[in-house]
Amino acid sequence: MIEAKSISKFFPVINEKGLAEGLTAVLNVSLTIPDGKIVSLLGPSGCGKSTFLEILAGLQAPTDGTIHIDGKLVLEPLPATRKEMISYKRRYRFISPLANGVFRDRPKHDIAMIFQDYAVFPWMTALQNLVFALKLRNAGRTGTAKLKKAQLMEKAVFFLGKTGLAAFANKYPSQLSGGMRQRLALARALSVEPKIILMDEPFAAVDALTREKLQDELLRLWAETAAVGPPLTIVLVTHDVQEAVYLSDEVVVFSPSPGTLRNRVPVEARRPRARTDPNIVEIEERILAMFQYDINQESEYSI
Amino acid sequence: MTDTYQTKGLRRILLGFGGFLKNSLLNFFSLEFLSILIPLLLLWEFLPRWNVLPPSLVPPLSTVAERFWFMLLHKNLILHIAWSMGRFFAAFGAAVALAVPIGLLMGWNLKIRAYVLPLWQLLSPIPPPAWVPMTIIFFGVGSKMHIFLMFIGIFYPVLFNTYQGIKDTDPRYLASARVFGASEFTLLRKVYFWHAFGSIIMSLKTGVAMGLVMLLIGESYGGTMGIGYLLGQAKDYFVIPEMLVCMAILGFIGWFLIEVLKYAEIKLALWKAGR
Repeated sequence: MIEAKSISKFFPVINEKGLAEGLTAVLNVSLTIPDGKIVSLLGPSGCGKSTFLEILAGLQAPTDGTIHIDGKLVLEPLPATRKEMISYKRRYRFISPLANGVFRDRPKHDIAMIFQDYAVFPWMTALQNLVFALKLRNAGRTGTAKLKKAQLMEKAVFFLGKTGLAAFANKYPSQLSGGMRQRLALARALSVEPKIILMDEPFAAVDALTREKLQDELLRLWAETAAVGPPLTIVLVTHDVQEAVYLSDEVVVFSPSPGTLRNRVPVEARRPRARTDPNIVEIEERILAMFQYDINQESEYSI
Repeated sequence: MTDTYQTKGLRRILLGFGGFLKNSLLNFFSLEFLSILIPLLLLWEFLPRWNVLPPSLVPPLSTVAERFWFMLLHKNLILHIAWSMGRFFAAFGAAVALAVPIGLLMGWNLKIRAYVLPLWQLLSPIPPPAWVPMTIIFFGVGSKMHIFLMFIGIFYPVLFNTYQGIKDTDPRYLASARVFGASEFTLLRKVYFWHAFGSIIMSLKTGVAMGLVMLLIGESYGGTMGIGYLLGQAKDYFVIPEMLVCMAILGFIGWFLIEVLKYAEIKLALWKAGR
């Protein structure tokens, strides 16, 4: 379970006059995501949803608020006073607060992340990418849960096969197409068998046909994973309304500048779903109307 | 999964060497380049012979080649080259062994950077030849001095290029490795290093060039062995063919080392081949 309590994030930015000013990327967002659900964070570009996801993943510290994954704190918020700042700086004198450790590989939480532009390592083959992730995850395990090298290899091959990349195991990412690279990122995330997968606009960079195929594949893999093991939670950031509604159990709508929680829309249509399911289409239209309303209001204010 | 194309033992070494030759020499034996090179060599041979250029100042190619053979037989040319190269590799090895790790650490950690970067920023603008007098006072004239001067020449370009490459590592790769649980040391070995690999090789190429410059400067200040020494002697006795032989040898050494580095890059950075 992911519990976010009143998360805020400010950035210093430089405006067109060359002066520093504050930008509120996320303002006071509280959100609870139960296990085994697919939840979409939906909003127009620049509404702070990606920032929120990075805070969830522990890749950025929030300015205020806390996030717990299964009761474990992700990152402490940034210091607010000068006194706190001094002690914070002293504590993280040598090593960044984001670091997992200096020499020991050990994930902080049982999560995996997929980035918009894949972030699979171009200097490793598809298989090496998976084995690298598996090894890192394995290093944190002890006792019987720790796998042997051959088992890791087996697992990597298995997950490559599951995403249809078995024939491309020894290819480098630069030799793969965009869709295949995205599938590789998906395979890498699934192979470590995490409880939670965070996805940052995973299908934004592929063409429409590939996107639909990848979405269906994601749903298939999600169902398969849940059938054999513990439920898999997916948090998905997207700006595509149809994608959000089609994939998720709940759509969390963000409103831009500052990024706040606009609305939460449950999608209760049964799976497997059809894209043309009237329930789904109705929810899509409702969300689009919501955005339209916001835009109209905004223009009225500006007049 | 094993690679089916793998070969082993001597065959593999020979194949590797063949690949290297193909990679490095093929540029020279292309029709395009030969059509430039052969006329140039012919001009070099025949312009002095026909007295278009004074042959006492511009010796024809055949004279230089003869002189090369003579130096091989009677002037211990091989030994001089061996001495120069021995010193060069000692300096190169030491400089790379120090500069690459320091660059890695400096690019990786802000605190380490804050401690040591200003020092290099202060020291690096000193032109390496300016170190010559102090070096001679400290080490005297000899191999130690030559090695130290080359070390100074190679160290800074390697250090700064490595540092820059590491610093520019794409944060997305770091983020994705961190989410999987990578420690900082693993990040350095598996992410930072490979991301900066191109600039590290680039820095080594610059290092080779700077090292050769310092080799010549160092050896021209004294010593009894080395190509720089031979060149100095040729200058003193005004033997132009010998000067040309020394220049050609230096050129060849530089070319060869750069080609080796290029080949290493191709072999180690296979993922770049597809781009």
